[in-house]
Amino acid sequence: MRFAAVLDGTSAASADVTATVVHRQSAALGAFLRGGLDTRATGETLVFYDDERGKDRLIELAPTRDVRLLRTGSRAFERMAALLGTQAEGGQTDLFLFAGGPAGTELATRLACRSGGEVLTDVLGAEAAQDRLSCRRSIYSGHLMGRFELSARPWCISVDLSWADSDEPEAIEHVLLSDTDERDGCGPGPFEDREPLESPSAGDLAASRLVVVAGSGAGDRRGVERIAAAARQMGATLGVTRPVAMNAWAPMDRLIGVSGARTAPALCIVAGASGAPAFYWGIEKAGLIVAVDIDEHAPIVRDADLVLLDDAVAIVEELAAIVAAEREAR
Amino acid sequence: MPLTREAVVEGLRGIVGPDDVITDEQILVESSVDNFRKLQNIFNVHTMPIPAAVVMARSTEHVAQILRWADEHGVNVIPRTGATATEGGLESVVADSVIIDGSAMNEIVSIDAYNMQATCQCGVPLQALEDRVRELGLTTGHSPQSKPVAHMGGLVATRSIGQFSTLYGGIEDMVVGLEAVFPGGQVTRIKNVPRRAAGPDIRHVVIGNEGALCFITEVTVKLFPYFPENNAFLGWTLKDMATGFAVLRDVMVNGYKPSVARVYDPGDAGLHFSHFAAEGDCVLLFMAEGAAGIAKATADGIQGIVDKHPECRQVDSAYIETWFNDLCWDASKITAEDERIRQTHNVNRTTEISADWSSINDIYQAARARIIAEIPDITMMGGHSSHSYINGTNMYFNYFFNVVGVGPEEETSKYYLPIIGIICEETLKRGGSIVHHHGMGKARAPWVKDEYGSSYYVLETLKHAFDPNGIMNKGTIIPLSTK
Amino acid sequence: MSSMRILACFRVTPDYEALRESAWSAAARRSLSSSGGAETGHDESAGARHDEIAGPAGFVDTRFVRRILDCFDESALELALRLSDALVGLGVTSGLGALSVGTPDADPHLKTLLALGFERAARVHTEAALDFAPAATAAVIAAYIRRLDRRDLLMLGARSGPGGDATVPFRVADELGWPCLTQATGVEPLADGRLRVTVMTDDGLQRLTARTPCVLAVGNAVVSHLRVPTLTDRLAVRDRRPDILEPADLGVDLTDALRREGPSLTTLEGIDRRRQSILIEGDTPRAKAQALFDLRLKSLLEDL
Repeated sequence: MRFAAVLDGTSAASADVTATVVHRQSAALGAFLRGGLDTRATGETLVFYDDERGKDRLIELAPTRDVRLLRTGSRAFERMAALLGTQAEGGQTDLFLFAGGPAGTELATRLACRSGGEVLTDVLGAEAAQDRLSCRRSIYSGHLMGRFELSARPWCISVDLSWADSDEPEAIEHVLLSDTDERDGCGPGPFEDREPLESPSAGDLAASRLVVVAGSGAGDRRGVERIAAAARQMGATLGVTRPVAMNAWAPMDRLIGVSGARTAPALCIVAGASGAPAFYWGIEKAGLIVAVDIDEHAPIVRDADLVLLDDAVAIVEELAAIVAAEREAR
Repeated sequence: MPLTREAVVEGLRGIVGPDDVITDEQILVESSVDNFRKLQNIFNVHTMPIPAAVVMARSTEHVAQILRWADEHGVNVIPRTGATATEGGLESVVADSVIIDGSAMNEIVSIDAYNMQATCQCGVPLQALEDRVRELGLTTGHSPQSKPVAHMGGLVATRSIGQFSTLYGGIEDMVVGLEAVFPGGQVTRIKNVPRRAAGPDIRHVVIGNEGALCFITEVTVKLFPYFPENNAFLGWTLKDMATGFAVLRDVMVNGYKPSVARVYDPGDAGLHFSHFAAEGDCVLLFMAEGAAGIAKATADGIQGIVDKHPECRQVDSAYIETWFNDLCWDASKITAEDERIRQTHNVNRTTEISADWSSINDIYQAARARIIAEIPDITMMGGHSSHSYINGTNMYFNYFFNVVGVGPEEETSKYYLPIIGIICEETLKRGGSIVHHHGMGKARAPWVKDEYGSSYYVLETLKHAFDPNGIMNKGTIIPLSTK
Repeated sequence: MSSMRILACFRVTPDYEALRESAWSAAARRSLSSSGGAETGHDESAGARHDEIAGPAGFVDTRFVRRILDCFDESALELALRLSDALVGLGVTSGLGALSVGTPDADPHLKTLLALGFERAARVHTEAALDFAPAATAAVIAAYIRRLDRRDLLMLGARSGPGGDATVPFRVADELGWPCLTQATGVEPLADGRLRVTVMTDDGLQRLTARTPCVLAVGNAVVSHLRVPTLTDRLAVRDRRPDILEPADLGVDLTDALRREGPSLTTLEGIDRRRQSILIEGDTPRAKAQALFDLRLKSLLEDL
């Protein structure tokens, strides 16, 4: 089976393409190719870029040996889809792989529409059998796992970003096969005057090794702030559940779960969250899960390694004090 | 000469020690209100006088000392345990009040499965007691929606009632004995006996006193066997409330005791049952439980009664069972509802009354029609009957309105109190009671004399006898303006 | 510009959170023992309706739970109303239309939207909910816009349905030849007829300007609840009904579209998340925290 992995090097907010966003794409695709694709396959990476200065670094991030560079305008997704479509028309590529996230979803979908193929996003694993690709992804807000079969090629799948948290990739010797300028006729695009509003913290949440989650058991905004302060004291990153984010007790980019960040920390302390599947999906891969809740019947109790039945804010604050004291003593 | 805030705090510290006297600003502000000021709470707008302190009582002796001291110095005290009150009963309406919080008195003292009684301190959460007795195959039978958060002391103080009352009764039927402390520091224990005729039943001075007469420190309640495997659910849709009330009456008069018997009007049904009830439908539902023979006979009896009403269309019992499993409050539901209110400024309020069978439908129709005509910005005006007796039933008005053009602190004056007023008027006019189970609190206290008529003499005398210095929860049951 | 016509799309969904845990394990079991997907394993009984398409999705028994608005769609509806209010403030007429593709469960919500001032509310009828059928869903929406109700802006949830599908907005955009922005969390009108949109991208929160026509797919917006119409509002539209259409009215052969739909859901599996659940005890929060630290955290944190 032949595949093409697609890296979007045009979407970083800054010209610095070593930015987390491209790293995560690359890490997810690389890890998926090594561990999530249960089938023998050969392929190449197609890298879209818009700034000359970042080219070399982008090549280094490619998850395959063979790399093709295509220069387009920033976020020129329709142009990118058209270029991928041309490649698909050639019939050589069975599978196009994108990294999960808004850009990957857009590209995968537009390509499938254009080329008569099929698209599936947030894929956790895939295997080809006979003439089909069988993929796994979560459904019903994390309550169940679904298996889907794709038949019409090209298969356009976006890889669940949790793949980015797997082991360190091996260094690859890259071979640049081509570097073409595809900006011709690329208009300015339908969206203008793009301004970043705040520095992204979702990236650091998804990559963090130590996470403290505040749920509605924190009681109110003040409770969440206290948990946040304790998290900082411990050197942990704060995540929150949906009720907390929707109440604006914490910024939306702290949201963990099916509709937010997926984390894979070594240690995750869940304070005052009952552990509904849609949230738990975001912490499933944590090494050690500690649940703090006053309700012994909350699902998180059963789904955690260690359980403390007590007030979320009180416990987290005490723990932070202990950790801080220990650090000072060392 | 009223004590200063500092003097109040000092006095309390002298009794319980500094650790149990809470003066944190945020806690005091939050302690000045209960769910009556729900909208203000959600928007963090606080208008009630701030208490001087919250004192954690850890023993009956503590409570006695605190009350004696408060009585001596004329300090207004507000007894509190789970803090789930909805009628302003926990509001501090005078400056520098003291909240006596009994939630730390949370020991389950004994569970006696032979005599079918459980004794616990006032701060035991009902859910905790229920979970414990379930392990023994028993139940308290008491299941108000506040069960996950309410405590035993408050549940008795407010004459609370639960979802299964039609079988198990209200709290007044469940209480055996109790211990309460009065303003002079008198600790009174009422012993646990099944029944007696040794004078008037003095438990009823305590049950429902809403902290206006005494502080409840310990209660003993009956236990019942628990047979969830025999639960039977029944449901119908129908076109009008009059039929619904008639069916409920039939069921009660014929001696059946389902644990749940309800009829929802179209507005209220639309909130819960739109997946099987069409627009304009009322919903009638029952749950029968208990020993196998009883549960079956109850369900069969109800089926037979409703079968005689062809205008009732039966629905799959799975709808009723599914809905019922999801009914109690929990932290995330409360948070989600608060968030909804914050965004939409659409507020949900309730007012529950009781009356005999002849009057209940008239009260429902009249109150509903007047509210729709006289109150602006109503988005839903409906209700349901949920607690039936041989001689009548309750009506739980459930209504929503958008708060328009005023801040959250004016919601009560622009919408909530006028609606309560209409409901109380229409109920009193027809001889009903203006409060079935939430307690008078401070919200309905202005109607206390209309509610009692000549029997107000008894209530007033109780108040003067037990609380001559007027320190117990000023404004509750008897409003401040009435001497 | 003098007018902007907005179409908001939504679906209703069973309230999956009201299902007991046993419902999910039962669904996985049924899926495991199924014979090729044609059987759904339901019993018909009085009042029951088939809500799921035949096949593995039908193994989740949602017959007895209430229906609610899909949460991102609800955000989209309220943002559409707020955008319309803002346009009025700018002196621009805006028409709001609503569209749902699916079963009559959506009708009460369509009536609510009429009461809230939507000029038009339509449903394209399908016998069963279009779960796991994003291509067919998108085909219907695009056909509706092209043939029946030309609009300048389409707003809908970024994810919808039990699969949390994120492709419908892009599919519709592709078919209409419109640009599409996803994970939008806020939108404001500019005086020149463009829109200032806040979006959450792979690289953080950004704001940008979009020209219409375009598709806005709404994500984790803090605005998440639809406003509530008064009884007076409802009375005013008492005699209006949503427009009920068939896919054929839009030139869409739904059966054919569903047949060609891919990918197809073949099986459901349960997810076992149970862990050791060891209880850490102590008399006070401090004691418990200390016990936790001593037992596991101290060594773990040293390694990090």
